[in-house]
Amino acid sequence: MSDHLIEARDLRVSYGGRVVAEVPRLDVGAGECVAIVGESGSGKSTTLLSLLGLTQNAEISGQVRVCGVDVLTASPRALRELRGARAALVMQSPHAALSPATRLGVLMRRALKLHGVRDVDRTMARAMEEVLLDRELLRRYPHEVSGGQAQRFAIALAIALGAEVILADEPTSALDVTVQAEVVGVLRRLRAERDLALLLVSHDLALVSTIADRVLVMKDGAVVESGPAATVLAEPSHPYTRELLEALP
Amino acid sequence: MTMLRAELRADRVTLGYGRRPVVHDVSIDITEGGVGLIGESGSGKTTLARAFLGLLSPISGNIWYGDQTLKKADMRKFRRDVQPVFQAEALDPRMRVGTSIAEALPRAARSRVPDLLEQVGLDPELAGRRPHELSGGQRQRVVIARALAVGPRLLILDEPTSALDVTVQARVLDLLASLDTERLLITHNLAVVERLCRTSHVLFAGRVVESGPTADLLANPAHPYTRALRDAVPKLGGDPPEAKGRTEAVPAATGCPFRLRCPLAVAACEQAPEPRDVQGRQVACHRAEDVLT
Repeated sequence: MSDHLIEARDLRVSYGGRVVAEVPRLDVGAGECVAIVGESGSGKSTTLLSLLGLTQNAEISGQVRVCGVDVLTASPRALRELRGARAALVMQSPHAALSPATRLGVLMRRALKLHGVRDVDRTMARAMEEVLLDRELLRRYPHEVSGGQAQRFAIALAIALGAEVILADEPTSALDVTVQAEVVGVLRRLRAERDLALLLVSHDLALVSTIADRVLVMKDGAVVESGPAATVLAEPSHPYTRELLEALP
Repeated sequence: MTMLRAELRADRVTLGYGRRPVVHDVSIDITEGGVGLIGESGSGKTTLARAFLGLLSPISGNIWYGDQTLKKADMRKFRRDVQPVFQAEALDPRMRVGTSIAEALPRAARSRVPDLLEQVGLDPELAGRRPHELSGGQRQRVVIARALAVGPRLLILDEPTSALDVTVQARVLDLLASLDTERLLITHNLAVVERLCRTSHVLFAGRVVESGPTADLLANPAHPYTRALRDAVPKLGGDPPEAKGRTEAVPAATGCPFRLRCPLAVAACEQAPEPRDVQGRQVACHRAEDVLT
């Protein structure tokens, strides 16, 4: 296979024999943003989780390589190393991903030490700066920061650990528009400056059109259309893509 | 069909929990054609909705219902006239949805459940299901059917579609637009107000910063916060939305509450701006003319 940071071929995820996601081909290169769009139940989140081997009790077939690691055959240890450091997951609800009883700084420090990062203080300071957060926030507990700050902290954590790939599942749909703009701005800038590969799952086509290079449209577990974002969203060839676009308020 | 106007209005209300006010001196008339209340998390919009529903008494000022304040109004009649529609999580997970709707009806009228389900575009057969057996859009329709059961004149809608996918959202908005009731719609989604409300009020840190016809507000905002909200909405194929200013800057305790986030702030903004008339709308900003140009 080539040098894509995320590469999936004939990926098929099923539960108890029922196929919930089937993706023939998905590539995300360094500095590239690919978005998976579709409505609830279309299989987009399942696809994203399966790329990191995070689907529980699912039967998965096909080939998945993330940062060169063969996810479907890798040892638990190799998977832990991949998920913790090189490929980071950013979820819809940032607060759900943060331990409520741990100060943000303690949490970040712990993660960095666990992954053997040296020069912890400087790495932390730089990561916070990159997501435009005040270092003072590291002293706070998760409930003392806003949703947008928590989401940017999740991104800072990924960067501090040296992530090359960010997989984000509806990272801004719980946020207000102005805060969303800020989080998206941070992701765009990091992608350009650090050559991050970004895989974004979203139901917001307008948002996707402003950040993604390529788009996969999923419906009922299948990819119904894919291609460059500009083409797919401007001249959709599948009726379902057209329906999604027409539904935009 | 002509409607009687549901005469509900807030007259200089200050609202809060304990001693801390979170909504300051707000006056809003719920007029015909739909009224939108726009603002971000923590701006006080849900607190205002609670006051309009009589669930929270003002610290000062009054909520008027016709010619009586809510304190003195006939609450039985008020509850029939004014119904809330919250996000679909408000349904009892153990109760069949038909029973949920029937609970809102007088005993003699319980046979109306199938009609109500049809009115919101649901198959009457769904009455026997429990909420978890329905999709998000179907659940939201059940919540609307239950609100309609008592024949309200006004619906108070708090983020009725924000948990829904775009296609489902579009269909629920069609339904809401087709209903013969007045509405107060609370949302952070500007496209939704555009669709359902003739008039809108923009709330920041518990204060109304701009009010006027929705179309004018969105096409040509006069307050920097309204403009920031509008510019932050991603547009299909458009430029990426830009965050102007730091959104985490706390509202200023004195003077204009937006000044710490405002790209146009000047020394004068340390004095709180009074709402004033600017091109057919009310704006609380010293620099409204500069925002408009």
